[in-house]
Amino acid sequence: MMGKFEAQIPGDRLYARNHMWFQADGDAFRVGFTSYSVRLLQDVYFLDWAIDQQSAVQEKGEIGEIESSKALSTLYSPCAGQIVAFNETLLDDPSKINTDNYGEGWLFRMQTEANMLTPDDYLKLLDEGWDETQRLIKGQLN
Amino acid sequence: MAAKKLTVVISQGQGNNPAKRQLEEDILTELVLEPKIDVSVVPHLYDMSKDHTGLLFLRSVVGDIIFLSWLYPRGAHWILDRQGVKGHEGETLLKSESDEELEDDIPSLDEDEKQYPNAIGTPEVPNRKIYSLDLRDHSGPQVYVAEILRIADEQSVETVSLGGFDLGSPAAPPTNGQTENGNIGHEPIADQPADANRLAIKEATKRRWYPVIDYSRCTNCMECIDFCLFGVYGVDGLDRILVEEQDSCKKGCPACSRVCPENAIIFPGHKTPAVAGAPGEVAGMKIDLSKLFGAPSAIELAAQERDVELEADGRETVGMSVGIPKRQSGHQSEEKDEMDTLMDSLDSLDF
Repeated sequence: MMGKFEAQIPGDRLYARNHMWFQADGDAFRVGFTSYSVRLLQDVYFLDWAIDQQSAVQEKGEIGEIESSKALSTLYSPCAGQIVAFNETLLDDPSKINTDNYGEGWLFRMQTEANMLTPDDYLKLLDEGWDETQRLIKGQLN
Repeated sequence: MAAKKLTVVISQGQGNNPAKRQLEEDILTELVLEPKIDVSVVPHLYDMSKDHTGLLFLRSVVGDIIFLSWLYPRGAHWILDRQGVKGHEGETLLKSESDEELEDDIPSLDEDEKQYPNAIGTPEVPNRKIYSLDLRDHSGPQVYVAEILRIADEQSVETVSLGGFDLGSPAAPPTNGQTENGNIGHEPIADQPADANRLAIKEATKRRWYPVIDYSRCTNCMECIDFCLFGVYGVDGLDRILVEEQDSCKKGCPACSRVCPENAIIFPGHKTPAVAGAPGEVAGMKIDLSKLFGAPSAIELAAQERDVELEADGRETVGMSVGIPKRQSGHQSEEKDEMDTLMDSLDSLDF
């Protein structure tokens, strides 16, 4: 829950602490934003990646940038691994992030050995993290 | 005889931000009927390939150009220079709303020459001016349109006062359609009826990433060519540094720009203003959700940077395992609030 709003967290995939979902797809995972992220971002206008495909990434390494109606943020890798491909169609039109964030709005494919959160763990993280998120947002209003 | 027109080029922003598109269109609409102005729209300057129609058009313009883009003027000027659209930096009176106090730092060519006495400069700059305006400076079209018309007026005044001895501007009144500079200019386009669609060049672009060199600062010290291990830099026949293999550049890597002692290397797409060619730090207009998406702390970042250097030296990386100070993070709790109230309250704020 974020305040009184329920976040839709599908049970058929795993999650990372930085609000991305992981779904097994061949030899890699498909990765995208959870509804929680999308809810905070709102309309996405622009997405750009700061690294090339096939790059090895560290956890919390910078991988890109996103601009939306509500926010401007750097994007960071959810875990260590290798990003094998980006969803190229989002570069021209990122609107699928809003309309289909668990499907065609996927962000990239990634190979990783990292441990992920189960849907239940992620929901718990959201519950615990909501106060922190509000502090983060409100802290920037002053 | 029709007076020579001033060429205005609007370079579109990346992405689909409706506010940006609106500003571009509003400026276009205002200018399209101006008798003194020829206005065109091209894709984002940095994304156009060397033989893109938009760049071919820009190279074909002989007289002065006013170039509007979502880039810092210095970034835009030196991308144009790299792409063969050369000219002297035109001085604009347009100042950013947020950094008027920094206006002394906004480099005009003259100031740059004083600040960077050892700069190697650009050879063979044609005798015309390129005015670069930053579309992020103001939210409405009026300021831009007013400035464009001011520059257009200034040109006609200059032309009159200098008469036949106009040395400064190739936009001098055409004598039989051709000036002594060999300037044929824009007459073929000038008398056609205004048509916004005709003025837009829409060929597709791809995201790109490469450095551009500000030769008004570069001293040819060669630190960049020594530092970059990917063969991006080279030298020309006069041993002047140049970006030789721009596609060898590693996407997102601005390291050579940080190495450059004169801050002469610009990555126009980098989010750090100083790297992107800004005159000074520019305040962000939006909230930063970086922490939410996993931004590293200063210490984590320092450890990452150290690892990169260690790896480059062929040594083992150490991550956070060595020499990391232990610090307490003091958290304060705050009252809960509802999502929509919170997010919507952002809109009512006057930034």
